[in-house]
Amino acid sequence: MTDWKFTARQLVRNPLSLLGIIIIVIFVFIAIFAPLIAPTPESHQQRPYMIPRDGYRAQPEPPSEDHIFGTTQGQYDIFYGVIWGTRSAFRVGLVVIGIVVVIGILLGSLAGYFGGIVDEIIMRITDVFLAFPALILAMAIVAALGPSLNTVIIALTVVSWPSYARLIRGDILQVREEDYIEASRGLGASSARVILRHALPNAIYPTLIMASLDIGAVVLSAAALSFLGLGAPEGYADWGQLTSFARNWIVGPPGDPLKYWYAVTIPGLFILFFVLGWNLLGDAFRDIFDPRLARR
Amino acid sequence: MELRSYIIRRLLLLIPVLLGVTLFIFGITMMFSPTQRAMLYVRDAKQLADLPAVIERYGLDQPFVVQYGTWLGQVFTGNLGYSKVVSQPVSDAIIQFLPATLELAIFATPLIILLGILLGTTAAAHKDRPLDHGTRVAAILGWSLPTFWLGLMLLMIFYGFLRGFLPPGRLSVQIDLLVNAAPFIRYTHINTIDAILNLDGPVFLDALRHLVLPVVTLSVVNVAFIMRLMRSSMLESLGKGYILTARAKGLAERVVVNKHARRNALIPVITVSGYVFAALANGVVITETIFNFKGIGWWAWQSAINLDISSVLGFALFNAVLFVLVNLVVDVLYTRVDPRVRLGQGVQ
Amino acid sequence: MKDLIRIRDLSVRFYTYEGVVHAIDDLDLDIRQGETLGIVGETGSGKSMTALAILRLVPYPGKIESGSIVFCDRDSGGEVELLKLREDRMRAIRGNKISMVFQEPGAALNPVYTIGDQISEVFLLHRRQELGRRARERVDNLLNDGNGFGAGLKRPFWHWQSRIYDKIAEEPHALEPRLLSHIPLFRRLLWRLKDEASLLTVDMLKDVEIPDAARVAAEYPHELSGGMKQRAVIAMALACSPELLIADEPTTSLDVTIQAQMLELFRRIKADKGASVLFVTHNLGVASEVCDRVAVMYAGRLCEVCTVEELFLHPLHPYTRALLDAVPMPGKELQTIPGALADALNPPPGCRFHPRCPSATPLCQQERPKLKAVAKDHMVACYLF
Repeated sequence: MTDWKFTARQLVRNPLSLLGIIIIVIFVFIAIFAPLIAPTPESHQQRPYMIPRDGYRAQPEPPSEDHIFGTTQGQYDIFYGVIWGTRSAFRVGLVVIGIVVVIGILLGSLAGYFGGIVDEIIMRITDVFLAFPALILAMAIVAALGPSLNTVIIALTVVSWPSYARLIRGDILQVREEDYIEASRGLGASSARVILRHALPNAIYPTLIMASLDIGAVVLSAAALSFLGLGAPEGYADWGQLTSFARNWIVGPPGDPLKYWYAVTIPGLFILFFVLGWNLLGDAFRDIFDPRLARR
Repeated sequence: MELRSYIIRRLLLLIPVLLGVTLFIFGITMMFSPTQRAMLYVRDAKQLADLPAVIERYGLDQPFVVQYGTWLGQVFTGNLGYSKVVSQPVSDAIIQFLPATLELAIFATPLIILLGILLGTTAAAHKDRPLDHGTRVAAILGWSLPTFWLGLMLLMIFYGFLRGFLPPGRLSVQIDLLVNAAPFIRYTHINTIDAILNLDGPVFLDALRHLVLPVVTLSVVNVAFIMRLMRSSMLESLGKGYILTARAKGLAERVVVNKHARRNALIPVITVSGYVFAALANGVVITETIFNFKGIGWWAWQSAINLDISSVLGFALFNAVLFVLVNLVVDVLYTRVDPRVRLGQGVQ
Repeated sequence: MKDLIRIRDLSVRFYTYEGVVHAIDDLDLDIRQGETLGIVGETGSGKSMTALAILRLVPYPGKIESGSIVFCDRDSGGEVELLKLREDRMRAIRGNKISMVFQEPGAALNPVYTIGDQISEVFLLHRRQELGRRARERVDNLLNDGNGFGAGLKRPFWHWQSRIYDKIAEEPHALEPRLLSHIPLFRRLLWRLKDEASLLTVDMLKDVEIPDAARVAAEYPHELSGGMKQRAVIAMALACSPELLIADEPTTSLDVTIQAQMLELFRRIKADKGASVLFVTHNLGVASEVCDRVAVMYAGRLCEVCTVEELFLHPLHPYTRALLDAVPMPGKELQTIPGALADALNPPPGCRFHPRCPSATPLCQQERPKLKAVAKDHMVACYLF
């Protein structure tokens, strides 16, 4: 598979995609070792995803030895929140992308391979979902089902599956016309076998890779919903919610306008870097896969 | 004539999509029990006391198809339900809040298009040189920025640190009073345009001051999006044979890039401008929420966090219809820009 | 005959991801005034690159590494080193003194502009003085003949127009018209320039035997047939009566019947305009029909340069002979050239053809044979001669 070697070498040679890989590895590391990096206090053992709070005062407290990133509105510890928030981010991202990819492959390959009425029905259904601006539809679904982390996952799945189904359908349509599919059909292979053994692998690797890199975008949408107050319950370790806590503390008291900078800046930076990591990698892949900008 | 029949055909094709959209929206409301749905219609205590009457009146215990028919009829007559957050019908709320959002769009859209196209062209013309790498990194960064966080950061710096230089809201309090008082006529409810029509400098400047940050927040992601697309589209176009022809004619590189390459590169950008509308619609909710800019996005947010389902669904339906129409306009525009396209037949 | 172009030691290299490709390697070639010189070779032999190098349009990541290309201007008699020319001077030569016709007429025309627009562009670029003069004459006629109330109103406007066109006619890049062309509304004063250019364009299209030229000028490329497109491209290249017309496989993508018409057109152009033509082709048959002399290229180097008669009657270089044997002819068994085209990244040392050459000697493997004259108008790069 010289192609994969070539791809890997391109990714490591390009400083931007290398940076992306490094950022993602760091976040994976944080997510895995969250209990060691930010140990859960004894009193909290039952529910480690709820951020421990140090009192109930509204006003954020600056970084100190106890709270190295300070505390945000309601004395929630920012450091604990962003570290455990990494786990929440991965959970939302991985679950949504996982479900979406499975639905996409199923419906996309059905539509692409069988064509005709099957294709027509599936595509008209995707049309309906794609007729909504995604975040607005997600917002409506969350509001209707009642805000929680699970409804956010459901909503994001509902709004994102159609585009993947379409992409995979397009891939299949393209490959279906190619000679080797004809050839294997000529040799008597059944339709299902042809799909599974030949069409699918060849057609959808690039799409799958691009989809997996959309984790960044999914996490960004989830954070936006949380920020709007349509996400996890209050106190849950979640970057979007931590950012929304800072809304009332953008401006400090007279004479010290940037007093609460830590509450505003830190959770947002985590989201930014997380999304950036995936996008850097995605951008490099897009260049590699773009046949119009073929390698020279 | 050809164009008109094309548009009519496209409009007919919209019917199944819009039926699906309404079915989906209605399906969501049907997840609730008749009593819960009756609550959506309740406007005062008297109705609250007699829920069965409400259920009876709106036929909420009828079979699905009947209810869908009734509901669709209401939607067609402009009755999208009642918005509790602002105590008025949803359709009135949309009309009331739309001008503010339009104002944002009026400023953001040209900015996005011009800046995105300009940066994308520049990056492509300088492929693999520092300028290209710079704009590219900026685009990825802009693409990754959480809109809501960007808004907060901008507020922290330009409102907090610079002592109220660029404030949130639509107008300052005194100006707001001025605008709603006698001599000032509100033609459009779009502050900047009304200020121009009233020849009122201070109002115009104040409105502009409040617009800067929301417009920037709304634009960043989209500029990055258009820029990236424009860059790859330009690179493709610059590799074509007619570019070599243009150079062989003796044309300056500036003309080759800005005339021969760009006109062709714009075609794919136009086809995705529908997505920009969707991104704007999404962004409007977040931006208006952060900046307390009372447009339909802000209203939708208020409705959502107060679980005012009929408003949120009405808002979603409104956006879907708008989005579908925008895509229609984009398709028509596309046939105008690319001479190779015969209406409804795609590129030959 | 005097030389029009003198190419000496030209080297073009491509710096690719896989390595450096020597697309053209120390090439010496003359193009004489009024002749049609054919460059013949397989795909990848560097023949098209030679054509592009003359216009200094070698595409990225290629680079003209060294050498010299001297252009002896027939009109002015002066000699210029093209490779050392400032970019803006070079642009004044492209499309004007030296123009080019490309292989694929469909790709060579910009799909979003009309044929007329694309040809007018050449006139507006290189013939501003002439357009200015013609526009001025037209305005002056109006000034002289115009009577009545309407003409009286327009008279001052015409006077102004006349002055501007006069400026353009004297000095094509004078400040006043240049500034005017950037000011909206005012730049409409210059509309007669475009009108004159369109008139010239229609004449040009008639010249390349396009029927209904005025209608074709208003059409987009996709509305024309392949042959018509190629005629339009040729019209574009001939617009400024170039001294050298470079044609890169101009007939390859066309039907055989159209090909014949096109070759006829090229012969006529040469006879009418006295321009030199550099005809790049892989087709020896086509070369034999239009060319006076032929240069045979292999893997970036010249093998043989001779008159077209000599090429067919006394081919010397083993590659030329192999090439001629590979031309299908009735009653003759088709010969193929053994082996594959030299690897561009790692070309064989010595003579690049030696791995495929039936008469290769050890010397051929070590040292590169120089191009030497073996008879009048016959040069060959081979140790056999």
